[in-house]
Amino acid sequence: MVQERRILYEHLDVPDINTFDVFRQYDGYTRFEKAIAEYQPDDVAKMVMDSGLKGRGGAGFSTGLKWSFVPKDIKPCYLCCNADESEPGTFSNRYVLEKNPHLLIEGILICCYAMGIETTYVYIRGEFTLGKKMLDAAIKEAYEKGYLGKDIRGTGLNVDIYSHPGAGAYICGEETGLIESLEGKRGQPRNKPPFPAVEGVFGKPTVVQNVETLCNLPFIIGNGVEWYTQMGPTYADTRANPPTPDPNTGTKLYCISGDVNEPGVYELDLGLTCSELIEVAGGLRGEEVKAVIPGGSSAPILTHYELDTRLDFTSLTLAKSMLGSGGIIVMNETRNIVDCLLNIMKFYAHESCGQCTPCRWGTPWVRDIVQRIADGNGRKDTMTRPKFGVAENGRWGDTGETEEIYEDLDLLESVANNIANVDTMTWNTICVFGIAVSWPAVSYMRKFRPEFEATIQEGKLVTLPVAEATVSPEENYAYQQRFVPKEFADL
Amino acid sequence: MSDALIQIETPFAFNEENQREFDGLIGRYPVKEAAMLPTLHLAQRQAGYITPAVMKYVAEQLEVSVMKVKDVVTFYPMFFEEPVGEYVIRICHTLPCALRDCKGVLEHLKAKLATDVASETNLAKGTTADGKFTLMKVECLASCDVAPVIMVNDDLYKNLTPEKVDELLAKLAS
Repeated sequence: MVQERRILYEHLDVPDINTFDVFRQYDGYTRFEKAIAEYQPDDVAKMVMDSGLKGRGGAGFSTGLKWSFVPKDIKPCYLCCNADESEPGTFSNRYVLEKNPHLLIEGILICCYAMGIETTYVYIRGEFTLGKKMLDAAIKEAYEKGYLGKDIRGTGLNVDIYSHPGAGAYICGEETGLIESLEGKRGQPRNKPPFPAVEGVFGKPTVVQNVETLCNLPFIIGNGVEWYTQMGPTYADTRANPPTPDPNTGTKLYCISGDVNEPGVYELDLGLTCSELIEVAGGLRGEEVKAVIPGGSSAPILTHYELDTRLDFTSLTLAKSMLGSGGIIVMNETRNIVDCLLNIMKFYAHESCGQCTPCRWGTPWVRDIVQRIADGNGRKDTMTRPKFGVAENGRWGDTGETEEIYEDLDLLESVANNIANVDTMTWNTICVFGIAVSWPAVSYMRKFRPEFEATIQEGKLVTLPVAEATVSPEENYAYQQRFVPKEFADL
Repeated sequence: MSDALIQIETPFAFNEENQREFDGLIGRYPVKEAAMLPTLHLAQRQAGYITPAVMKYVAEQLEVSVMKVKDVVTFYPMFFEEPVGEYVIRICHTLPCALRDCKGVLEHLKAKLATDVASETNLAKGTTADGKFTLMKVECLASCDVAPVIMVNDDLYKNLTPEKVDELLAKLAS
C-alpha cells in the first residue's frame, strides 16, 4: 500500500495555519531566511535547477531551465504566479490559497530573491473569492511583519506581492493569456517566441509559475537538493538524443475525482501507477475501471489496459498522454464515453478564446459532431471500404477484410486533427489550447471506438461492457503509426 | 427598453469606499490599463452589472477608450451586461460534477426556482420573476472532490443533493 508523503500539504489542516504566528511555529519563513543568509541568488537558482523541479502547472517544463532564460540585465523583471486553476479535475491550488497562503508567499520570496524580482502578481481566478481573501490577508500580515515591502529583514531586498483577480476565462491559465489578461486586455494568448522569460508582462522579462511549483521552493531550500531528488523516479529520456537521465523528482499534489470512494488531493511521490492511486483514494466506486483521465480534461484518456502507467511526466509522455496539472478523473463501467466526450467538448467550445480560426470554428464543430452522435443522429455510410488494421507484420495495413464507413467518426478525427494534429504534435493555433481539444477528442474516439460505433448504429447512447468498449493498445498503437514511414516506425 | 435608457442617463461614480480601494489598485501597476479587471469587479459590485455608464466611467478612470473596456467586458463571463438577481447561482456542469449527478441538482433548481438557465447573451432567461435569483451554468469551479458544487454569489456549496438545495434556498429566501 502506497503511503502519502505530505510535504506541501503537511500542515494544511493545522488550525489557523493561515495566520503568520502559527505558520511561523511550523518553520514558516525560516527557509526564506536560510536562503538569504546562506546562499547567493545564483546558488538558489542552481539548487532549483539541480533539484530537477518541473513546473506543476501543466507543461512540466524544468523550472530551473525556465529561470535560466531570463536575461539578467533587463530590469524590472516580474513574477506572475499562476493561480488561475481552471482545468477540469484540478483543485489542489485552491486548498493552498485558502488554508496555507503564507507557504505560497514564502515560495514567491525565494523565487524573487533568486531572480532579483521586486514585483509579483498573483493571478487568482475570479471564482476563488475565499482564496483571494485569505491570500490578501496573509500578504497584509507579511507586510506588517516585515517579510514583504522595502528592505526585507535588513537585507536590502524589496518585494511587493499583489493579487490580481481573473474573471472566469479558462484561457487565462495559459501563460501568455494570463499576461495579456494581467495587462487589462482580453486574455488571448500571444505568439511565442518571444517567450515570457524574455518579453512578458509590460514588455519586461517575466517568470510565470504555478502555485504548486512555487510552494515546492521552500522545501528544496530547507531540506536540500539531495533530500528532494530522492523522491520520485529517474528515467532515461528516450525522446532526447542521446537518451539523457530525466528526473521526475519531488511529490505531486494529485487531485482525484470522479468514481472513487474518497475523492480529494493526495500528495504522493511522482511515479506511482494509476491503480495504486485509485487504491489510495479509497478504491473504485463501482465494479471496474473503464477509463482514467490522467492530467486534467485536456489529457488523452487511459483505458483499463493502461492502469499500470506510472503517473509522472516522462512515463505519461511516453504513453502519449500527459500528467498536466495532475487532475485525475476516474470513470467506472457505467459511464458512457460518448457522453463524457460531449461534456468535455462543450467545455472547450465554450472556452475557446476566438483568436485563431481553426480553434474558434473547430471546437464548436467537434462539439456538434459529438452532440449529433450522442443524440442518435450520427452519420454512417451505406457503403463499405477495405478494412485497415494490424496486418501480419504487426503494422497498420490492409487486412483483406471490409469495414463499414462511419462518416461522423472520420469527420470528428479530421476536424480535431486540423485544429491540432495529435500524431505529429503540431498545432494550427497560437497556443496549446488546440491540442487540449484534439487530444481528448481523438483519444476517446480511437480508444473507445466500439462504443461510438454502437451509439451511431443503434441511434441512441449505448454503454458497452468495458472489455468490449475498449480498443487494445496494440491496435491503437498500430493505428497511430499508420502514417509513419517504416524506417521511423520504432523510434 | 426604458430601463436601459435610464441606465445610460444615470451617471456612475465610485462611492467613497470603492474610490479608496480603486486608488490603492492603480498604484500596483506600471500602466493604468492593467487595473482593468479589478476595477471592473469593483464597479460591478457597486452597480450590480456593467452598464454603459460604468464602462464610460471605468474608461475615463483608466485613461483608455470605452471600446477597450467593452472589449474586456464581453470577453470574461464573470462580467454581466444585464441585470441579474440578488443571488447569482452558478452551477458547475463539467465532467467531474457531471459524474456526480449535477444534472439532477440542476433540474431540481430549475423546478424549484421556476426558471430556465441563463445564457451568456440572455441573463433574463435564468432570472426569477421576483428578481431574487439568477441561475447559470458555469465551467469547472475547481472543487471536483466535493462535487456537485454550486456557487451562490461568493460562497461555495459542496456535495449537493436536492435536499441540501431545498435547505439552502429556504435559507436564502428568508
